[in-house]
Parts: sequence; structure tokens; C-alpha cells
Amino acid sequence: VYIEIRQTRPIVLGFEPRYQKLLSLAAIACVGEEINRRSRRATSAEAALTRFSRALNVTSSRRQRIKELQDSERLERGRVRVKLIQRWQQGDPNACQELLDDIGPSLTRFLRRRVADPRELEDVYQEVFMAIFEARHTYQPGRPFEPWLFAIARNIAVDYSRRRWARSHWEELVAEPPERPADVSNAAAPELGEVLAGLPPDQRDAFSMLKLDGLSVEKAAARAGVSVGALRVRAHRAYKSLKRLIGE
Amino acid sequence: MGEAIQIDHGQHHRMLVRQLSSEITPRRPLLPVSVRLALWAGLDAVLVAWVMSHTTNDFKAKLIQPPYLVEVVFFMIASLISAALALRSAIPGRAVSAAEAVMATALVITGTVVVIFGEPMDTSTRLREFAGIGLICSRETVIIGALPWVGLWWLAKRGASMNGWLSGLLVGDGALLFSFAVMRIACPIDEPLHVLTWHLLPVLIVIVLSTVVGSFSLRFRPRPRQIAG
Repeated sequence: VYIEIRQTRPIVLGFEPRYQKLLSLAAIACVGEEINRRSRRATSAEAALTRFSRALNVTSSRRQRIKELQDSERLERGRVRVKLIQRWQQGDPNACQELLDDIGPSLTRFLRRRVADPRELEDVYQEVFMAIFEARHTYQPGRPFEPWLFAIARNIAVDYSRRRWARSHWEELVAEPPERPADVSNAAAPELGEVLAGLPPDQRDAFSMLKLDGLSVEKAAARAGVSVGALRVRAHRAYKSLKRLIGE
Repeated sequence: MGEAIQIDHGQHHRMLVRQLSSEITPRRPLLPVSVRLALWAGLDAVLVAWVMSHTTNDFKAKLIQPPYLVEVVFFMIASLISAALALRSAIPGRAVSAAEAVMATALVITGTVVVIFGEPMDTSTRLREFAGIGLICSRETVIIGALPWVGLWWLAKRGASMNGWLSGLLVGDGALLFSFAVMRIACPIDEPLHVLTWHLLPVLIVIVLSTVVGSFSLRFRPRPRQIAG
């Protein structure tokens, strides 16, 4: 048996280290079984070993073929994406749609590793799409598409992490949520909903997004479809109106 | 008050795709880095030619001296490398080559060492005279660097820099190292203390400023846009 095991080594060595031991054991078992079955004849053992090595060779070449197929598939997908973005740069809406549908799943996987909160993931996903759209002219024909795409996605994800980190510095963690509002002195104050109903719609939305939904100014501006400055102005006007309506 | 409508990822994706497809317009891709670098170098060449034709410095005679030649050529090459890196840094996925950055830094350091040891240092000049002449040189260094800086900034801004401060730094490097090299041609004073204080120091200050401005101005941020549900 010792001789046969030695003969399997060149075959087994062709595999990754974690598989080598497993394959060696399989070879021993296979050869051992064959030896038992054929009355411990060395020739039978050699034949078994030959069959085993053939099987291994087949497995190895199959793995190689699968890897080659995967590589060629990846290359082909890359080529298709390059063609699509070039058509997109020329203003073809179908190419835009096809490309965004194609990159969607891989982009989602990429962002899921960086953004834990599913709701925030959607925001970051949207920001990445916007960024790709805005920066489409920076893709240079003839260069691989994926590094360009993921550089933009990584940049947006890093921005998100920075914002999250900054927010976590002024948010205070408490063991239990307060049972009642901290300020109860103004008990006779009107309901917030009633007061907000008295505001113009754009001011009301700005206030709701910033103070009730807890969005950042940038995200709120994006959702409202206005610039950050315009949203700040709306929010400022809303605060002034609310002060007036509530009576300071 | 707007109520939050829960939509799943697939719906959100379809909304985004629909919206972006509807807003599409043709957009010409950026010219390759080499072409844009050549354009910028062309602008620099015009500037060098203008300075050469207007200077009283006998730079042609000085160019025979190896230390002087090394200073001018090294700073010029470092400037071109920095400009190339600045343009590349404004394209997503194009990494700034560490080897090229190291090479540019090595050229600048070597050039500075040659400035220091190329000529004997003269500390006998009166402070008033030293500062009076020096301030003119500082002003000219900044003025000469302004046009290449604006040009390179504009070229970088047309891209989408993922790292604003790095792009700002490289733009500053490219423009101001060029300015330093041109000032070695324009200014007749080769005394190391003068060159270091009134040529190199303003260059470093402007590079720092360019880095600071770049960190918030050159960084690519998509415009906020509302997605219609």
C-alpha cells in the first residue's frame, strides 16, 4: 500500500493543499478496497491506482475547463458591458437600461458588504446609479469597465460611511427610550400635525424629511429634487413659520 | 405630510433605471490622458517661449552648466509627471501610479539638493534688498503658475475625481513645479537662499492651498435628483 500511496502524490500535488490530504485518503481507501477485493494482488492494486489517477485527471481537467469557461464568460460579459456603456455615451436609452440591469446584482452584492442597513442600502444604491449616470463620460473606451464602476461605487460607499460615522458622534445612545418627551412645559401646545398642515407644501416636506424622517440635508435635497442650498432655505423658512405658529 | 412608501429593491431598481433612461443625452467621452496632457504641455510651451523671449537672464550660457540644467530639466519632468497623475486621478478606477509619484518626488528632491549645493550661499545681502527683490520673484512665480494651474484644474474638473485632495495636490504640483522651472530661466539670481525662499517657498504654499481647495472642490459628487415613483 505504501508504494501505491507514493504513486498518488504527483497527482494529488496538483490540487490545492486543503484537498491534497482528502485526495490522499481517498486514494488509500480506493486502493485498499481494490486490494481487499482482488485478494491483495499488487497488480490489481496498480490497476486500481491507474483508474483512480485517470479519474483524478478527468476531475482536474474538468475543473480547469470550468475555470476557463468562467474566465471566458467574465471576459465576454466585460466586452458586452464595454459595448453597452459606449452606446450609452452616445445616448442610447436601451443600452443604459440593459447595462444598469446587468450591473444591478453585482452592485447590490458589493454594497451589501459595506452597508448593513437595508433602507440605507437603497439610498446608497440610488446614489451610485446617479454617480454612474453623471460620470459616464469619464469611462474611457478600450479600458476595462469593472474597475471604473466599482471605483465609483466604493467612493459613494466611503462617503456613506463617513456620514454615518459623523452622525454617530452626535447621536446619544440610551439604555431605554424616554417614556415621555423631555420638554413637557408646553403641554397646551397644538399638535405637530395640525401646525405642519398650516405650512406651504415645500416647507412642510423639507421639515418632515429633515426632522421627522431624520434624513441628511443632501439626501433630503436629492429626494426633493432641489439643490442643497434651496432645501436649507425651505427648512429655514419652515422653522420660522413653525415658531410663529407655535408662539415660540 | 408625505408618508413613506415601502418599496422593495427590485421596484426601486426599475424606477431608477426608468428615470435614468428617460433623462439620457449623448455625452462625449473624455479625451485620453495623453492627449489632454499634450494640450496642457502645449500651453506650457507657449508660456516658456514667452518667458524666454522676455527675460534678461542669460540662461543659454547657464544651460551648459550641469547643475543648472539638472534643476530646470528635473523640475520640468516632475511637473509633467504630476500633471499626468493629476489627469489620471480624475478618472474613476485609474490608480495613481506609486512608481511615478516616487519618481516625481525623487526628481524634486534631487533638484532641490542641486539648488542648495549648486552655488555658494550668500548671507551678506541686506534683509531689505533680499526681501525687496525676493517678493517680486514670489509674485512672478505665482503669476507664471496661475495659467497652468487653471488649465490643469479645468482639465481635472472635467473628470470625476474620487480623491479631491490628491487631485488638488497633483494639480498644484504640476502647475507650480513648472512655474519653478520657468522662474529658474526667468530669474538671473541663482543664489540658493533666494531660490529656496522666494521661488520654492511660494511654490510649496500654493501647492498646500491647491490641496485644500481640491479636497472640497475637485471631489466628484453626483447632483441630487429626485426619482419619480
